[in-house]
Amino acid sequence: MTEGTQAAPAVELRNVDKAFYGVKANNHVNFELARGEVHALLGENGAGKSTLCSILAGLYRPDAGEMLMDGAPTQFRNPKEALAAGVGMIYQHFRLVPNLTVAENFALGHPDTGLRLDQKGLHRAAEELGETYGLPVDPSARIWQLSVGEQQRVEILKLLYRNAKILILDEPTAVLTPQETTSLFTTMRQMAEEGRSVIFVSHKLHEVKEVSDRVTVLRHGETVGGVATAEAEPGDLARMMVGRDLVLPTRSEEKEPGAVMLDVRDLRVDSDRGLEAVRGVSFDVKSGEIVGIAGVSGNGQRELALGLVGLRTPTSGSVSIDSDDLTKATVLDHINAGLAYVPQNRLGMGLAPGLNTVENLALKAFRDPPYSKRGRLIPSAFKKEGARQIEEYDIRGVRPGLPIRLLSGGNLQKALIAREVEMKPKVLILRSPTRGLDVGATEAVRNQTLEERRRGVAVLLISEDLDELLALSDRLLVFYEGEIVGEMRAEDATAERLGLLMAGQAEGGAS
Amino acid sequence: MSQRRFIVEPRGLVSLRLRILIPVLSVVAALIVAGIFLAITGENPFAVYGHMIDAAFGSQRGVSETLVSSIPLILTGVAAALAFKMLVWNIGGEGQFIMGAIAAAGVAVWLGPDTPTIIALPVVVLAGAVGGAFLASIAAVPKVYLGTNEIITTLMLNFIALNLMNFLIFGSFSPWRDSEAASFPQGEQIADAFRLPEFFKRLDVGIFIAIALAVAAWYLVSKTRWGFAVRIVGDSAATARYAGIGVSRKILAVFLLSGAFAGLAGGLMVAGPVGRLDPLSLNLGLGFTGIIVAALAGLNLIAVIPVAVLMGALNNAGPSLQSIGVSAATVTMLQGAILIFAVAGEFFIANRIRRPDRETVIEAGETAEAA
Repeated sequence: MTEGTQAAPAVELRNVDKAFYGVKANNHVNFELARGEVHALLGENGAGKSTLCSILAGLYRPDAGEMLMDGAPTQFRNPKEALAAGVGMIYQHFRLVPNLTVAENFALGHPDTGLRLDQKGLHRAAEELGETYGLPVDPSARIWQLSVGEQQRVEILKLLYRNAKILILDEPTAVLTPQETTSLFTTMRQMAEEGRSVIFVSHKLHEVKEVSDRVTVLRHGETVGGVATAEAEPGDLARMMVGRDLVLPTRSEEKEPGAVMLDVRDLRVDSDRGLEAVRGVSFDVKSGEIVGIAGVSGNGQRELALGLVGLRTPTSGSVSIDSDDLTKATVLDHINAGLAYVPQNRLGMGLAPGLNTVENLALKAFRDPPYSKRGRLIPSAFKKEGARQIEEYDIRGVRPGLPIRLLSGGNLQKALIAREVEMKPKVLILRSPTRGLDVGATEAVRNQTLEERRRGVAVLLISEDLDELLALSDRLLVFYEGEIVGEMRAEDATAERLGLLMAGQAEGGAS
Repeated sequence: MSQRRFIVEPRGLVSLRLRILIPVLSVVAALIVAGIFLAITGENPFAVYGHMIDAAFGSQRGVSETLVSSIPLILTGVAAALAFKMLVWNIGGEGQFIMGAIAAAGVAVWLGPDTPTIIALPVVVLAGAVGGAFLASIAAVPKVYLGTNEIITTLMLNFIALNLMNFLIFGSFSPWRDSEAASFPQGEQIADAFRLPEFFKRLDVGIFIAIALAVAAWYLVSKTRWGFAVRIVGDSAATARYAGIGVSRKILAVFLLSGAFAGLAGGLMVAGPVGRLDPLSLNLGLGFTGIIVAALAGLNLIAVIPVAVLMGALNNAGPSLQSIGVSAATVTMLQGAILIFAVAGEFFIANRIRRPDRETVIEAGETAEAA
């Protein structure tokens, strides 16, 4: 490495292009990262943030353009070379081995790791680094025993152990509570003060405002601009990001909710490992009401949903829809009772990836006319209904016979929601419905959710996105370790109050 | 990792033209490779292929024999294609075929020569299907309810069925064995009432049964409500469960149906050209060849029919090669080559290969995980 002059940035990208299957993910991207700064990369989904980071981390090679480190042209052939040069990335999906301990994960892929593990040295290093950066971890804990926030700490420490000079964090706050986020920001600032550079990927304006020194905004694969954070107004950043003024849907009309449609009493549901994940939960959702369930991922939300829709039989308690007891009923009984469910895993559960869009739109309704009569499918009904729904719900990119998995995330979600809503449900359960969607699709999904509320559907919104919960819900429940630790009306809710509850800090006086 | 010369990427839509062209090219490639081997052994490949075409299609007798050979292959091909479409890896078509033959011959011997044809024929056909489904159930039930691996169980059951057939004829004095056979042990001839009527030399009405059932299977999967549910299960079991479909029962049903088709093939052989439980003419690997048929047909239930006729032609041409001094094993080699190219061809149907236009993609997950 050359002894760079102070003027040369730690990393610079000049006119970088990168295309996938002819789609330009990065188009003449310019990016400059100074030493000792936290640099935010802001942009919608699909704006090219991840591609840019992956180029820096050696995962992709640019089609054209230059990369300079400390002023010298550089090329990484793989992430190993990038890491050796001091560039490390923390992905949204962690790259840790669940069955190994924290210390053992430190040793993985480390150039000094030989045949024997220096367990003592690794433990000491993990503890020392943890102390220095305020990221305490137990070096002998196995990864699967750690919470998501703790796993993220391990990832950061692992990079520091490799002495990374440039740390790329890809949407690190998506999995954290507000309090964990604050502590992560402290760590990021500390690393920057030491002269390391931190790239912080986000699409949340207030976080970018809070932690970064500079911002680079990407839109449609192009750099729209780089500014000092202090000089940027949130409104300007938003406009740069989306290219237009943002109109986020809000609950327009206030209307008294109707009768109880979903009634849950003392529900208990086990996790995959057979441990109790939902521990005696009671609540109801009324017609024309949106109830939000807030909580950090992995606190029993998944099992709650499985228990409510009949995919997992509760160990005790009861679930009823419009006064029908469905506690032990099959999935089909739930569907027939008027329950619609939009799962988080669109292609893994909500859609049949290899079937086409029209078939997927009929995935639940195919049993009845007009889709089938006396056991026979009616192709013309598939065609007609499919065309109508594709038009009505603005599902784009559909071609006859094309497997649905080739549609974009936003269109997948539109198709999935179209199908569920078309069933005219009494109860609609949504899990993280806008996760990974761009602003346009998010808008469509949220408006559709509000439309269902207007129609008198009882909506249960299970999400990790506080902004979304606050924007849509009439009432909020907070989930922590399988229990409801707080309930409030939307107008009394703030991100801070929810965050404390999500972190398990009980409120005085709350049951 | 060095610069890649080619890029492989999944195709979205696959045109019908390509779906037909690629299997045809697979067969041509197999013929070329086998031709090279023939040339190395000093044969003229064109002469050999010419002779084969002549043997298979060159005479009325040839055509008749080719179609006779294709009857069991249509059914074992459908058996494999049905199961594989659903990700049920039933490779026990061979055993189910034999079990079908045992059941068909057993029923025919047990009911005896006085049975009226109107009862005898449906019963013998049904017995074959039930026999195959029964053997499949031994693998299917534990798979569905206990999660056992059907590749292993169906494979092992093949040996059990084969040995059971050998035992019934060579190892015991069972009712299946001809008690009057003087020298070499052989199966008891079944009564004429149980034999399928022949209409074109040795070709019997089994060909119509096989084609009709292949079409029926296609209709069931493509055009019925049950078939739609089955296709959802085959695409994603988790999605099917979410959509309220009884996944276990669907898998069980398809597995048994697959076994029934393979068993029916054995039944039609007994009721057709063979006429008794004859290990020598039933142990030809027709269940395994069904897997080749299914693969070459791209698991398309209608395409199974012409592909089975092609394979039947090969089987039929094999023995005649000996008359020109070429080993009949040539056909086995050719079939093996066709299977390999057909499977490789599947890759080209699913993916497209092209030169990179200044673009290198390193598979994101792999590289990072390895680091």
